[in-house]
Amino acid sequence: MATAPSASVEARLDIPEGTCVLTYEPLDVQSIIHSVADDGAGATAVFIGTTRNSFKGKVVTRLDYQAYSKMAIKTMANILRDAHSRYTRSDHHTTPSDTKASSLIKSAVHHRLGTVPVGEPSIVIAVSSPHRKEAFVACELILEEVKMKAQIWKREFYEGEREDEAEWKANTGH
Amino acid sequence: MPTITVLYFAAASTATGLTTEELPLPAPSESDNASCLPLSALADLLAARHPGTKLREVLAQSQWAVDEEMVDDPAQVDDPAQVVLRGGEEVAVICPVSGG
Repeated sequence: MATAPSASVEARLDIPEGTCVLTYEPLDVQSIIHSVADDGAGATAVFIGTTRNSFKGKVVTRLDYQAYSKMAIKTMANILRDAHSRYTRSDHHTTPSDTKASSLIKSAVHHRLGTVPVGEPSIVIAVSSPHRKEAFVACELILEEVKMKAQIWKREFYEGEREDEAEWKANTGH
Repeated sequence: MPTITVLYFAAASTATGLTTEELPLPAPSESDNASCLPLSALADLLAARHPGTKLREVLAQSQWAVDEEMVDDPAQVDDPAQVVLRGGEEVAVICPVSGG
């Protein structure tokens, strides 16, 4: 019915900390996990957000996502940079000077655009780290920051309700 | 004639039926040779262009992005009311987001 904005395009941004992707293709979870693999990683934390079949008692038939892609991808990259800089440790073994190295090795955040049917992933976040604690914490941080800041919007469609009345959700206060 | 490009997403797009709109800036006044529009005046202008829609309500809950930078972010801009559009800017209505 409604056409996606022309600004809601696929995008990819590779930075030293990892990769951010906006895509209309189904998310390939294994491939995303593999993208953060590193022989120095003892831990890989993964979050998969999937379309749920209900919201407050109503049956959800699908979610539609759109993005202001050129801003969203930069926001996602800044979130990865922030996560990597937050979790640091002094590493006297690998660096000659007393510089802080990130405890995280590599991160990836992939968000799907367009229609995401019930049960399919809309977002996948993978974080690799030498140790599990930072991987878990960073993965959650990245998720919460993306939900709060990324210029991405979700529209929820309910069974038995008119499509043109489907609500655009807001992550704050809902 | 200087214009700005307004981008509508999500609820703003549903309210207007548009995803984008070219907006001519008001003509120069005697005191200012160049066309300009304070960002703080944009909501009223857009709402007036789309009467009978929910756009005004949506704008009241939304932030602005100008040339891919969020406005109303205290960390970035000292006084959002002072952001002035002069033509050529891409201004996006950023409704409350819901990614993830």
